[in-house]
Amino acid sequence: MVDLSVSLGRLRLPNPILVASGTFGYAREMAGLVDFARLGGIIPKTVTQKPRIGNPPPRTHETAAGMLNAIGLDNDGLEHFCTHHLPYLRTLPAPIIANIAGSDADEFVAMAARVGRESGLAAVELNLSCPNVAHGTDYATDPAVTTRIVRGCRDACPYPIIAKLTPNVTDIRVIARAAADGGADAVSCVNTFVGMAIDWKRRKPILGNITGGLSGPAIKPLALRAVWQVAGLGAVPVVGVGGIATVDDVMEFIVAGATAVQLGTVNFYDPTAATRIVGELESAAGHLGVSRIADVIGSARVQPG
Amino acid sequence: MTAVQESARVLANDRLGRDTYRIRLECPELASRIRPGQFVMVRADRPNDPLLGRPFALYDTVLDGQGAVVGIDIVYLVVGKTTGLLAQSAAGDRIGLWGPLGNGFRPIESAGHIALIAGGIGQTPFLAYARELLGTRGFAGSDPKKRAERVTVYYGVRSAEYAAGVSDFEAAGCTVRLTSNDGTIGVKGFVTDLVASELPADRWIACGPEPMLHAVSDLANRLGIPCDVSLETPMACGLGICFSCVTKIRTPDGWDYKRVCVDGPVFDACNVVW
Ligand SMILES: Cc1cc2nc3c(=O)[nH]c(=O)nc-3n(C[C@H](O)[C@H](O)[C@H](O)COP(=O)(O)OP(=O)(O)OC[C@H]3O[C@@H](n4cnc5c(N)ncnc54)[C@H](O)[C@@H]3O)c2cc1C
Ligand SMILES: Cc1cc2nc3c(=O)[nH]c(=O)nc-3n(C[C@H](O)[C@H](O)[C@H](O)COP(=O)(O)O)c2cc1C
Ligand code: FES
Repeated sequence: MVDLSVSLGRLRLPNPILVASGTFGYAREMAGLVDFARLGGIIPKTVTQKPRIGNPPPRTHETAAGMLNAIGLDNDGLEHFCTHHLPYLRTLPAPIIANIAGSDADEFVAMAARVGRESGLAAVELNLSCPNVAHGTDYATDPAVTTRIVRGCRDACPYPIIAKLTPNVTDIRVIARAAADGGADAVSCVNTFVGMAIDWKRRKPILGNITGGLSGPAIKPLALRAVWQVAGLGAVPVVGVGGIATVDDVMEFIVAGATAVQLGTVNFYDPTAATRIVGELESAAGHLGVSRIADVIGSARVQPG
Repeated sequence: MTAVQESARVLANDRLGRDTYRIRLECPELASRIRPGQFVMVRADRPNDPLLGRPFALYDTVLDGQGAVVGIDIVYLVVGKTTGLLAQSAAGDRIGLWGPLGNGFRPIESAGHIALIAGGIGQTPFLAYARELLGTRGFAGSDPKKRAERVTVYYGVRSAEYAAGVSDFEAAGCTVRLTSNDGTIGVKGFVTDLVASELPADRWIACGPEPMLHAVSDLANRLGIPCDVSLETPMACGLGICFSCVTKIRTPDGWDYKRVCVDGPVFDACNVVW
C-alpha cells in the first residue's frame, strides 16, 4: 500500500490528482462516466460575480498536440453557483475546490468571503490568470496586486487559498513569491499560454476572440519548467498544471517539485484518464521504492558541475 | 443514460459512396444505451494528432445472431484528419469511443407522417430514428413499437456518387426522395426546394449544413409545421465540460449560448437563433 495523500498548506488531499477548472464542467456532466471517489479533488469551472455570456464561437481550435480556447468565462454567476452547483458538488465523495475570478481586488475578496460562508468546500482557487477576458491577466502579472488579492481572500475566507498563476509573464517566480507573501496555501502553475490561429485562405483569425489560451500536451515542457522554477523557490507548495495526460507526466511534475497536479485538456479526449492514473500511481511510486508519494516531491536531482 | 468510454474493435469498414464509409464498431456497453439522434465521440488511436475526439451520429445499432446488441455503425464523410484516419482503418483495429451523448431525437409515441430532411452527410442520424419510428428496432433497452404511420426521407446530395445509405432507408420502410445539385440523381436542385414544393408531413426533423437547416426551419416556422433540427456544431469534448460547442438559443428574455453537446444536438427549430 502506497500512501497517496498530500498536503498543500492547510489543504490535505487523498491523492495528488485533481481535475482542472474549466475542463470538468461542474462535475455533474461527468457523473456515471467518472468515479469521483477516486479523484484527489475536483475544481469546477471558474465562477465570476455576475453572469457572463462568454465569447462568440468558434471558442476552441485544435492545434498540434494541443488546443486553443477562448471560452471567455461563460458562467451564470456566483449566486447561481452557490444555489445551483454547490448543493450538488458538496454531495460528491471528492474534495471540491471552488475557482473564482473577480474583476478587481475588492470583488475577489467579496467573492472569497461569499464562498467562505458556504459549507462543503476543501479550498478556493483564485483564477488570477484567465487570458480570455479583457485585462484578465493584469492581476497575476503585477506582484503587488497578487499579494493584495491573495491576502484579502485569505483574511476573508476560512478555506485554504490556492493562487492560479498565468505563465504569460516574464518571470513566474516573482508572481509566485508574491502569492506566497499574501499567504497562499499553494500556487497552481500554470494556466494557458496565449496564442492564436489564422485561416490564411479567408485571411482572418479563427477564434471568435482572436487570441486564445494554448493547452494540452504541447505545453507540457513549458509548464514543467514553470513548476521547477517555482518549486525551486521553496516559498509555497506547487500544483502542476499543463499538458498532463499520463502517469509518467504526473510523476515528472511531482519529481520536479509539484505536490499535486491538475489534469485539464486530457479530460476532453480521454475522460477517464484521471481515475485511471490514480490507479497507476501506486506502482509508479513503488518503482521509486517509496511508500508515500509525498516522499518523492521535488526529488529530481541536478547533476553537480 | 450515462456515457461510457470504450476501446472499440473495428468489425468492418465499407465504402458506401464517394469519400463515404460505414464503420462497424464493437462496443456492447455503449450500443445498449444509445438511442437515435444521440452521438458518440470517436478518437483515432493516435497519441496526440489529432488530439481531440470528433462527434458522429449513431447510424444504427448492430445485433448478433441472438439479437443481442453488440455494436454500432457510424457513417462518415472524409473531410479531414480523423475521418481520413478512419477511412484507413480495417477490421481488428481499435478506436477510442465515448457515449452515448446528447439529447437525441424527440421520443414520439404516435404520429402520422414524419419527414426526415437531410443534406450533405446529415442523413446519418435518420436511419436509426426511422427504424424506431416504424417499429423495426428498439433502442436503449426499449422494445420495438410502431410510432409513426409513415416516414419519408428527403435527402439532398451534391451529386449521385455521394448518395450513401439510400438502400438502408428503403429497407427500413422509408420512402426516399432524393435531390442533387447537378441532377445526376433524383430531382435537380436543393433538398429544401423539394420540401417546399411538396410540403410533406405533420412533423419535420432536419439535419445537415447550417444554411440548409436555417432554410428548413424558416419554412417550417412560416407554415406552422413542428420542426426539430439536429446541429453539426464542431465539438471538443462532447461531454458538456469545455463550453466550446455553444449556439444561440432563444430564452424568455432574449437568447443564451447553450452547449449543443448536452442541450442538443436536437433543438426545436423555433428556438434556434440563426
Ligand atoms: C452531433 C454531430 C454528429 C455528427 N455526425 C456525423 C456523422 O454521422 N457523419 C459524419 O461524417 N460527420 C458527422 N458530424 C461531423 C463530424 O464531426 C466532422 O466531419 C468531423 O469532426 C471532422 O473531423 P476530421 O478530423 O475528419 O476533420 P478536421 O481535420 O477536424 O477538419 C477538416 C475540415 O472540416 C471542418 N470541420 C470540422 N468539423 C466540422 C463540423 N462539425 N462542421 C463544419 N466543419 C467542420 C474544419 O474546420 C476543417 O476545415 C457530426 C457532427 C456533430 C456535431
Ligand atoms: C476549454 C478550457 C477552458 C478552461 N477554463 C478555465 C477556467 O474557467 N478557469 C481556469 O482557472 N482555468 C481554465 N482553463 C485552464 C486549465 O484549467 C489549465 O490550467 C490549462 O488548460 C492547462 O492544463 P492542460 O494542458 O492540462 O489543459 C481552461 C482550459 C481549457 C482548455
Ligand atoms: S463539446 Fe465540450 S461542451 Fe460541448
